[in-house]
Amino acid sequence: MSGGYNEIHPEPTTFWSKYILSFDHKVIAKQFLWYGIFFLGVGGLMAILIRWTLANPGIPFPVLGNLLFPASGGVVPPDTYSMLFTMHGTIMIFYAITPILIGAFGNYCIPLMIGARDMAFPLLNMLSFWFAFLSGAVLLISFFVPLGAADGGWTSYPTLSTLIGSPGMGQTLWCVAIFLFGVSSTMGAVNYVTTVITLRAPGMGYFDMPLTIWGLWLTAILNAIFVPVLGAGVILLILDRVMGTTFFLAGASATSGSGDPVLFQHVFWIFGHPEVYILILPAWGIVSDLLSFFSRKPAFGAKATALSMTAVTVLSTLVYGHHMFTTQMSPLLTQSFMTLTMTISIPSAIFFANWLGTIWRGSIRFDSPMLFSLGVVFVFGLGGLTGLHLGTVTTDLYLHDTYFVVGHFHYTMAASVLLGGFAGIYFWFPKMFGRMMNETMAKIHFWGTMIPLNGIFFGMLIVGYGGMHRRIYNPFVYESLQRLIPVNNIITTSALLMGAFQLVFLYNFIASLLRGPKAESNPWQVGTLEWTIPSPPPHHNYDVIPVVKCGPHELGNPNLKTGRDFQYQTEELVEA
Amino acid sequence: MSLKRSELQINLATNIVIISVSMLFATLFMGYAIYRTSATVWPPMGISRISLVLPSLSTVVLFISSFFCYRVSKNIRKVNFPNAHRNLNLTIVFGVGFLILQGLLWNQMKNTGIYVSSGIFASLNYAFTWIHFAHMVAGLVGLIYLKRVLKPETINLQTKTKSVENFWYFLEIVWIIMFVTLFVF
Repeated sequence: MSGGYNEIHPEPTTFWSKYILSFDHKVIAKQFLWYGIFFLGVGGLMAILIRWTLANPGIPFPVLGNLLFPASGGVVPPDTYSMLFTMHGTIMIFYAITPILIGAFGNYCIPLMIGARDMAFPLLNMLSFWFAFLSGAVLLISFFVPLGAADGGWTSYPTLSTLIGSPGMGQTLWCVAIFLFGVSSTMGAVNYVTTVITLRAPGMGYFDMPLTIWGLWLTAILNAIFVPVLGAGVILLILDRVMGTTFFLAGASATSGSGDPVLFQHVFWIFGHPEVYILILPAWGIVSDLLSFFSRKPAFGAKATALSMTAVTVLSTLVYGHHMFTTQMSPLLTQSFMTLTMTISIPSAIFFANWLGTIWRGSIRFDSPMLFSLGVVFVFGLGGLTGLHLGTVTTDLYLHDTYFVVGHFHYTMAASVLLGGFAGIYFWFPKMFGRMMNETMAKIHFWGTMIPLNGIFFGMLIVGYGGMHRRIYNPFVYESLQRLIPVNNIITTSALLMGAFQLVFLYNFIASLLRGPKAESNPWQVGTLEWTIPSPPPHHNYDVIPVVKCGPHELGNPNLKTGRDFQYQTEELVEA
Repeated sequence: MSLKRSELQINLATNIVIISVSMLFATLFMGYAIYRTSATVWPPMGISRISLVLPSLSTVVLFISSFFCYRVSKNIRKVNFPNAHRNLNLTIVFGVGFLILQGLLWNQMKNTGIYVSSGIFASLNYAFTWIHFAHMVAGLVGLIYLKRVLKPETINLQTKTKSVENFWYFLEIVWIIMFVTLFVF
């Protein structure tokens, strides 16, 4: 089974083999999707608790407050606040975005969009999910151990994350969970890279692959290379905490010998900066495809977009030092990292311009996947532009560790990826579940997300620029920051609104799953391979492996005589 | 065609795994380089250098194990399965021997006053050998798997053997780097 011959696997017959220990990439994708949505809810609730505390310090959290924090009368206590921002970041990055964007879409789309029957290693694929599950379980258990969950921030810098800063078991379990998640991600990466290289349908060259696959493939390459770097870091941190080594202990905190806390920062960001692109590349790929599909015209400069994404992937490995400008790095190094960081703007600008070129004079269909894709263009533009201030040494020294940073990375890593994820869910839901989602509710969800989202993250940019530091329980004990209370109230109100509108999505998702109208095989009228087969696809995907004859974005060709405005990838290319 | 493809898949996957594990060890060695170059005295004052006997013996034993491992794939190419089994057994025996020597090394370090918590020198020596040990156990699991499938009718036997073999060689290379950096210099 694990050899992967692209042959038809026997269909599972029992409940366990079909839904729990399934080898089928489509079932594993759905497992990752449910897993990601669950953690999105958990991480989202934490975000609301954080925002409530910042807007209403000392006031009990309504309804749930007394249940969650009975000892403090429903008020979020300071130590819990640290746990909340630590676990919110960890959960959203590793346990919500990664499973949805990479686990769900990677598993679902890669075999279907390249014309394969499954992943190269189905057993490894199943193990990848169950390692992620185990990791999630360990992370959740860490809330219930003495002294609670990890509270050293999602970056877990020593000495905050050593026994000096976090004496409880929570931080150790955090490290174990992250290590297990790394194993899961590496397994997935091995599978994705191998599948894309070896199981593409006959005739499908690399540039005939949809850009979604380019994004997922490049993400997998980055995962395979850089997740083990974090793995090494957390192993050493575990050894420091459990076995008594002193890798990250220095000065008075080291009883003998001397380690180096800053080394962890290097290790973390060597992984951490590519991680940003690990998360965002799939969203870029999805958006690049969807903009073309819903503009009813070929993706402008598709090859250049693919190559730009590749260039960003390469450059992302060389810029990590911009996260550490304030660690007394040599000016020569800071300037080198700054220059390399600025260089990323070039390929980013190319594919951003290509996105605009794609929608320019297109016959745009404002269906929900397109709305969310356009949302990504907007928020990623803002996120990218605010990144310039943080990549520049002089401005970063002022803005470092302020809410400006929080606003920036939420625009890039949260807003862009979240909207890209929703675009993907609305787009592939009919294929995944064979039913259509309610379009009106989807549009309400879009506007209910898009407007408050900007209220939150633009507000964060403002308060950060105003000098408000991140990770402070009650910043308004400082008189100079009290003028920022009104903006903070706007941010929190926006967060509550955005949270409320996610319930619309949840209702739409579940209701459509149960009783949505049946989906046709190709409801969006696009030509990539997955739309040539029924919705949902049969167990083995393709009765006959398709032969690819043209690219994925053949839309709007006036010479088409088929009565359609698009070509399937299996059709001979009609010259425009 | 499909057999060739599955061979390519196994080769590719093995190479990716080796690249991933290399990155893990590269990170460790990067840390080592930083600690080592920023230290004024090495080993730190009050800590004695680790005797080279057990690390050298470990190197020789692992080298012998790899030699037998190399013979396994040669035997398979020549369809000489009895010899392949014998050489694979020897690979495993010497592999286990290496692990035993590692245990003795840790015991010796403890007996000479180098405890895990004795500072960065001890941290590096213990942690690196532990992490390498864990990978060696994984390599041994691969060898035992190979032993189970070492029969003529196994599909892709040569490719599977090559994959396990390459991982075993990789671990030997990592050990040699550790031997030179941790123990010799």
